[in-house]
Amino acid sequence: MQEIDQFKERMDGKISHLIDKKRRFYFNVESENLREVAEYLFKNLGCRLSTATAMEMMHGIEILYHFSLDRAGQYFCPRVVITDKEHPKVPSITSIIGGAVWIEREMFDLWGIEFDGHPRMEELLTLHHPQGLKQPMRFGRTE
Amino acid sequence: MSVNKIPVGPFHPLLEEAEYFELKVDGETVVDIDLEIGWMHRGHEFISESKTFTQSIFLVERICGICSTSHPLALVHAVEDIDNIEIPLRARYIRTLIGELERIHSHLLWIGLAGHFIGYDTLWMWAWKYREPILQMFEMITGNRNHYGMMRVGGVARDVDPVIIPKLLEDLDIVDQKMVMIAGAAKDDPVLRSRLKNVGILTHQAAVDLCAVGPTARASGIAIDVRKDDPTDAYDLVEFNMIVQKNGDVYDKLVVRVLETLESTKIVRQCLEKLKVVKGPILNDVKEVSEGEGIGRYEAPRGEVFHYIRSDGTNRPIRHKVRAPSYVNIPTYVASCKGIPVADALITLAAVDPCYCCTERTIQLIDANRNPVAVDLLKLSREKTEQVRREIHD
Repeated sequence: MQEIDQFKERMDGKISHLIDKKRRFYFNVESENLREVAEYLFKNLGCRLSTATAMEMMHGIEILYHFSLDRAGQYFCPRVVITDKEHPKVPSITSIIGGAVWIEREMFDLWGIEFDGHPRMEELLTLHHPQGLKQPMRFGRTE
Repeated sequence: MSVNKIPVGPFHPLLEEAEYFELKVDGETVVDIDLEIGWMHRGHEFISESKTFTQSIFLVERICGICSTSHPLALVHAVEDIDNIEIPLRARYIRTLIGELERIHSHLLWIGLAGHFIGYDTLWMWAWKYREPILQMFEMITGNRNHYGMMRVGGVARDVDPVIIPKLLEDLDIVDQKMVMIAGAAKDDPVLRSRLKNVGILTHQAAVDLCAVGPTARASGIAIDVRKDDPTDAYDLVEFNMIVQKNGDVYDKLVVRVLETLESTKIVRQCLEKLKVVKGPILNDVKEVSEGEGIGRYEAPRGEVFHYIRSDGTNRPIRHKVRAPSYVNIPTYVASCKGIPVADALITLAAVDPCYCCTERTIQLIDANRNPVAVDLLKLSREKTEQVRREIHD
């Protein structure tokens, strides 16, 4: 696919662990390159940020972003792995994509991931929880 | 500038679901809006990790009562995406049939509510009256008026009895005629046009930046529709048009939904005709799901439903992410509500068809003398329609 080839060429050396499936393209990206990748996908390719998925794994906390290139029915999924489980932190992409505000707040809320540069880094879902839930999706899961 | 805050929600006896908005108003103009979600903790993603894939279908079907087949469809698409599982042709038509019938009843529900909010109770009663045959069609096909339990990984659970197809087509013709009538009435009514045109505009750029989906995006000129962009099931085998408007106001959102309903009846008719002739199995026996990850998406009535499944090769997911369309459409309020009169706030909030019952919201304020002041957004909205009607007729 032309857009994937362009993307690979443009991001050469910045993306790894490529998995190219039918209409799904997964790859890893270091957190320092995340904003550049997000900006290219959103502004240059014209992708829409569908959502992001956080997961706690043995090797760290993963954030898998889901960018949809609607005109081609293609998903680009950059994966950031944060090995510091105690203080997970990644750059926020909200200054590039306004639609990322809620999902970053949700991941901060449920997984305790801090998004550097987020305009309102506070809980989204448990803000008013009577029991004061803290990071309810973090329970030291094992694979 | 003196800014007052009008709290809307989070709990009200008339609401099916809880949501909280804080309208910041200067006089009668909304200058900002703050949104708070998180008043319901349902834990679907967490519970799903302890369920088998088949059990999860029934779980996610209960995420939403209105579009209750969109989530199961996205889920089975996600599981099928892991192994590129093909499904039988007959099952593809049945899935599309169910999905489109659901779109018709969901859009009719919204059209009715929108009519009610602005004081067009006749439109409300018409829309809900003609939604009823759709629910009866569901009952004939699936045995249930809601929560149909039809989707399975690899196909569908229940076949469509060929005996009922003529009756379904007959009922569809009636709904189709009535929809044409409603569409004509909605498009030609000068009061409705004046009341909704240029109200709550979501610009193309704001919709792109906020990543809006579904009719909310299409009304703002963004031509996206999962059924066209990434067709699954029988969407690449049927003919229909994607409805796109330009202005992004409430009127365009109404037009998109009304015209989409007509497109859906077209798709339903094609599926029923095909089900007369396409024979064969309805379910491929899927024994195992491999280790891997899959993305499932479906164009629900409100926009793209997104499911992500991470599998470790067992019959349960280790991660199941769900993103409903309202999650990305509700934040568009920050763009569409600014600068509008308070009387237009209710219909603007309702225009994205948010997934909660945004009916009458009476809010309690305390005035300078500590007396409760009731502000009824519904009343304000209906009074404005009455005012527009008088201006046009005088």
